[in-house]
Amino acid sequence: MIEAQRLTKTFGNRRAVDDLSFSVNEGDVVGFLGPNGAGKTTTIRMLTGYLPPTRGTATIAGFDVIKESRKARSTIGYMPESVPLYDDLRVSEYLKFRGRIKGLKGTKLRERTTDVLERCGLTDVRRKLICELSKGYRQRVGLADTLIHEPKLLILDEPTNGLDPNQIRSIRALIKELAKERTVMISTHILSEVEMTCNKVIIIDNGKIKAEDTPNNLVNTLRSTGSVLLEIQSDIINASQKLQELKHVKKVRSLGKRDTWNEYEIVVDAGTDARERIAHLCRSENWSLRSLHRRDASLEDVFVELTRKD
Amino acid sequence: MLAALIKKEFRSFVQSPLGWVIFAYTIFMQGICLSTAMKSLTDTPLVENLVYVTYHTPNFWFFFLFLFPLITMRAFAEEENSGTLECLLTTPLETRHLVMAKFFARLLFYMLLWVPGILVFCLFGFITDLATPFMREVVFTSHLYLLILGAYFISLGCFASSLTGNQIIAGILTIGFLIIQYFLGFVTLIWGEQFQAAELFKLFSVQNHLRNACRGILDTSPLMLYILLTFFTLLLTHHTVNYRRWKK
Repeated sequence: MIEAQRLTKTFGNRRAVDDLSFSVNEGDVVGFLGPNGAGKTTTIRMLTGYLPPTRGTATIAGFDVIKESRKARSTIGYMPESVPLYDDLRVSEYLKFRGRIKGLKGTKLRERTTDVLERCGLTDVRRKLICELSKGYRQRVGLADTLIHEPKLLILDEPTNGLDPNQIRSIRALIKELAKERTVMISTHILSEVEMTCNKVIIIDNGKIKAEDTPNNLVNTLRSTGSVLLEIQSDIINASQKLQELKHVKKVRSLGKRDTWNEYEIVVDAGTDARERIAHLCRSENWSLRSLHRRDASLEDVFVELTRKD
Repeated sequence: MLAALIKKEFRSFVQSPLGWVIFAYTIFMQGICLSTAMKSLTDTPLVENLVYVTYHTPNFWFFFLFLFPLITMRAFAEEENSGTLECLLTTPLETRHLVMAKFFARLLFYMLLWVPGILVFCLFGFITDLATPFMREVVFTSHLYLLILGAYFISLGCFASSLTGNQIIAGILTIGFLIIQYFLGFVTLIWGEQFQAAELFKLFSVQNHLRNACRGILDTSPLMLYILLTFFTLLLTHHTVNYRRWKK
């Protein structure tokens, strides 16, 4: 559905997107992750034809975003980050207007408007002015707009940004529902959202792809290490050295002292579990042991590991 | 697609208080110009026709020039500021559709503003039961000129609005452009006509052209000039909209 080949965008001397290549298959629900300023919105704007790439190409459903821009754009339903809407229009007026500029007319336009109003839970507010709607409803209007011309691909830029937890849940459920029938690309920083809704993740930072895989594979493989949390009573330097010498231990980090107990985070090789060896060491060294548990990696760990600056 | 955009733009005037304020302002000022003209006709012997005198009262250019920033300042500045420009240009619409829709919707609204003024001239004899102090052709030539000049000024306003995301600045820029255009007509009055570029300044004198049009002279050269300038300014607007979004 999306084929991006060496997409690059520079603004003056600043390279916002740098040689980005990725593909999204039909039916995929892709989480597009990255810290602020990573180049997510710029990439999305290039895919939607709003910005021309400085170099590289991209195709949407086989249409080049530059050479066949109109055809490419007609296959996309795009919701920008802040969901800009015309506040002086009523909900149904707005959706009809959007339908018309996307090429719908007559009975088809009426049918599609009724359908998206129903699907997005907007029937009750269809006669309300957009300026009177809550943020959650505005988000729904934005989603209804993306769906009105039945696009093959939805691109949603931070769709739950600024919503309260209840609104986030309802929008997330709606997106999950929509994702059953079409390809969806969601740009977000909310990692739990990606874990719940996406079957593929692309992580970018400084305009470059850092990882591209399923959330599970990323957690299992890209997070090169697991970690074990340990609380013992011991000499800090001596304990760190001894722990470091254990097999499969990559790094030992002292987290400080709580009461009289020293806390450590022990980073171990992927797919290994050093807890038994650590417990054995504690017994042999006569260290009092209060807790020892493995911390499972989450997508958040992967994200932080790939995008942290230090 | 284009029709839907024009309709939406036009409705934004008809359904908003701003549109009605502009309409009321125009009718009020047209009334002031007409009543000033009629007063002057009662005080002094009639030298020029009523249409000419109406459009040469001191109030006329003041209200006429201030009309355009009001009509055009929101055109692109508001779309850019609210982010709706991105929503529009990621649909199958092209920038040229957007520029044309903004322009034609405003031109349509501008034409609507002149309907009461034209009606007054058309019904003058019927209402006052006096001999009509102008020829019917004068009403046609003067309003045709005001229509074409208005189209050019609207294109200038759209261009100013495409330069910024702030509609107040867009309005100030528009009035700036129009005042420069207006004062080009005074250059030959101030410095005389004894220099090489005098003809050029006369060509751009909106006052001279209006004077001729109000005397019933249909001079096609200024009309063609304004039509060409309108196309050129709209082209510039198109490029500015693209340039500004591409550099973000």
